Amino acid sequence: MTGHTVRLQTLGKVTSCRGDQSLLDAYLRDNVWLPHGCTQGTCGSCKLRVLDGEVDHGNAPAFTLTPEEREQGITLACQATPRSDLLVEPLAEVSDDGVVRHPLRDLTGSVVVLEDIARDTRRVVIELTEAMPFNAGQYAELEVPGSGVWRQYSMANPPSETHRLEFHVRRTPGGIATDGWVFASLAIGDTVDVRGPLGVFGISRPQEEPAILIAGGTGLAPMKSMVLHALAERLVPELYLYHGGRTEADLYDGDLFRALEAEHPNFHYRPCLSEQQWDGATGMVTDVVLEDFESCKGMSAYLCGPPAMVEAAGKVLKRRRMAPRLVFKEEFTDAADLAAAGAPLATAS
Amino acid sequence: MTAVTETPAWIAEITMAELEKDPYPFYERLRKEAPVAFVPALGLHIASTRAACQEIGSQSDIWDGVISPAGGRTFGHPAVLNVNGPEHDELRGMVDPALQPSEVDRYVDRLVRPIAKRYVEAFENDGHADLVAQFCEPVSVRALGDLMGLQSVSSDKLREWFHKLNVSFTNAAVDENGEFANPDGFIPGDEARAEIRAVLDPLLDKWTVEPDDSALSHWLHDGMPEGQTRDREKIYPTVFVFLLGAMQEPGHAMASTIAGLWTRPDQFERVVDDPKLIRRAITESLRWTSPIWSAVARVNKVDTTVAGTFLPAGSVVMLSYGSANHDANAYDAPSDYDLDRAPVPHMAFGAGKHGCAGIYFASEVCRIGLEELFESIPNLERDETKEIDFWGWGFRGPVELHANWEV
Repeated sequence: MTGHTVRLQTLGKVTSCRGDQSLLDAYLRDNVWLPHGCTQGTCGSCKLRVLDGEVDHGNAPAFTLTPEEREQGITLACQATPRSDLLVEPLAEVSDDGVVRHPLRDLTGSVVVLEDIARDTRRVVIELTEAMPFNAGQYAELEVPGSGVWRQYSMANPPSETHRLEFHVRRTPGGIATDGWVFASLAIGDTVDVRGPLGVFGISRPQEEPAILIAGGTGLAPMKSMVLHALAERLVPELYLYHGGRTEADLYDGDLFRALEAEHPNFHYRPCLSEQQWDGATGMVTDVVLEDFESCKGMSAYLCGPPAMVEAAGKVLKRRRMAPRLVFKEEFTDAADLAAAGAPLATAS
Repeated sequence: MTAVTETPAWIAEITMAELEKDPYPFYERLRKEAPVAFVPALGLHIASTRAACQEIGSQSDIWDGVISPAGGRTFGHPAVLNVNGPEHDELRGMVDPALQPSEVDRYVDRLVRPIAKRYVEAFENDGHADLVAQFCEPVSVRALGDLMGLQSVSSDKLREWFHKLNVSFTNAAVDENGEFANPDGFIPGDEARAEIRAVLDPLLDKWTVEPDDSALSHWLHDGMPEGQTRDREKIYPTVFVFLLGAMQEPGHAMASTIAGLWTRPDQFERVVDDPKLIRRAITESLRWTSPIWSAVARVNKVDTTVAGTFLPAGSVVMLSYGSANHDANAYDAPSDYDLDRAPVPHMAFGAGKHGCAGIYFASEVCRIGLEELFESIPNLERDETKEIDFWGWGFRGPVELHANWEV
């Protein structure tokens, strides 16, 4: 299919975008970074203003892209496809923040590790045929073979390892990708199609503020990558990792984090259980954070987990007076959430 | 004036005190029944709809800027609001350069951010504050005061001056003969003016021989032949305009933005979480409670008719921006604060040649102030035990704004 020309007004960058390709996809593949988050139409961070030309809004949900916004020529870069040549401008500021971005690429790899690490949770390691450079905290998409369905998982390995990607997958009952694949037919040696990297979450450059990382369940995956990267590169003066689960069966990689804690005096690992008494911290992970810190002023935080946990953590950190601009969030947007919100399910199950 | 005899009772009987407490019900009826009406209590006409204010504000060939009688009595002549043609061009040429957006961008962050930080630091560990007195007003006066060159004047003194000038400026009531109904109402303004001159004269003396980059130094020197300075009698009325409106209104706007957001806790939380929304929150606040509610007037040079009302040449018409911004023809549910409403432009900064010179500066002061407040105290909450009372007809904003937070 021939491409349409898409031009970014202020940056003057021009790319070619096929009629069946999203504008975001076209730019990221061309190594032009645009603000974005979930790439599923739910977060709204990739909004563009179409100054000239016509787009198809695709599966953009009305709760992310309102009718008023459509009338004003706004669209979601991750959902919109071009119907003509375009002149567009991102709504969010695109500034050079000093972070090196890596282009979106299509890759192939084979499964080299497949192990159960916690309740309903598997570690999948894929050896790629080519390198996929990424930043700590970013994610990739894996194709469920034969289904045309792509699923998003954060890399858990540090970005220094570009050929071998580690993912943590939690089972969703009845899920096409989990019950139907990773927890069923997937086997060592299987070939997997991968595209990435995507996302803006993570730690990529030195920061002055101590950081609190709060993870729920497999929200630990990007945190593991970030902890390994930040400690190796000395990016953060003080690093606190909180991992929440219901019982000990939900926790994993504890030995690794305890070893890191012993090696790095500025790293603190705090697993928390909400439904089991033990010699560690007990309660919701957010309540433990609330008790541990009298004030979070001057600190930053990275949150990854189910939406309810991320929201609760945001409130706790605000209560402890952390500046909201220093709170970075990555929510799971799984198929069930999208369905509940009434979103189209073209890419979900 | 014949108009008086034709005035319906509900217009004839309105009082200043009623308007200052809550002008909205009266203006809502005006918009419906008498978009341009003579109001005896004020001795002038009021334009209350968006269409009428826009028409009058934008037609500079028919309408000149004029100051209300009470405003003229407070500021003296020639204030920038009250002159037209070349005289107005000269005064705008004097005040505009430091307020151009490109110029404001050059200095505003390093001017305002340290001021806002300092005022937040003074109370952030108290767990409670009246944000009007402890933050919005001091940040507003300190930012403009420092820009003007008034570093030596305390924030409390600047606040006292604008409060006193405000009392006089809005002392608009007239009796049946058109004379001021409350002459004593001008005493506070007269006191403030005398004190301002006593403080500013030595500064102007200094800047006459030692010009610096302060705005008032530029007002003395810019556009004057070498070796000459602008007559300070030409400067003072506009200094008073600044020391009232420009000092007070960014504070009103900041306080009204917080008060508006507190009517929508979900929207308040979104703005605190995402500081990029602060600009939009301020814009909606300026529409919701326009700080310069009813303080700008025009006079027609020729006979004309607006919204069906015939106005013989020389009719003074008060443009009620606070009312125009609640016009149901332009805004759905106009009395609700709503961050997400369709962004129909508001009229809070006026229009035409006499449009506000400080649009960008004032908006940036508010933005930076609120950024610092929400960054430092993201757990700010309304003190539910205290009422939020708005006051003012000429200028309007919350009188006090009590907040609590966990320290």
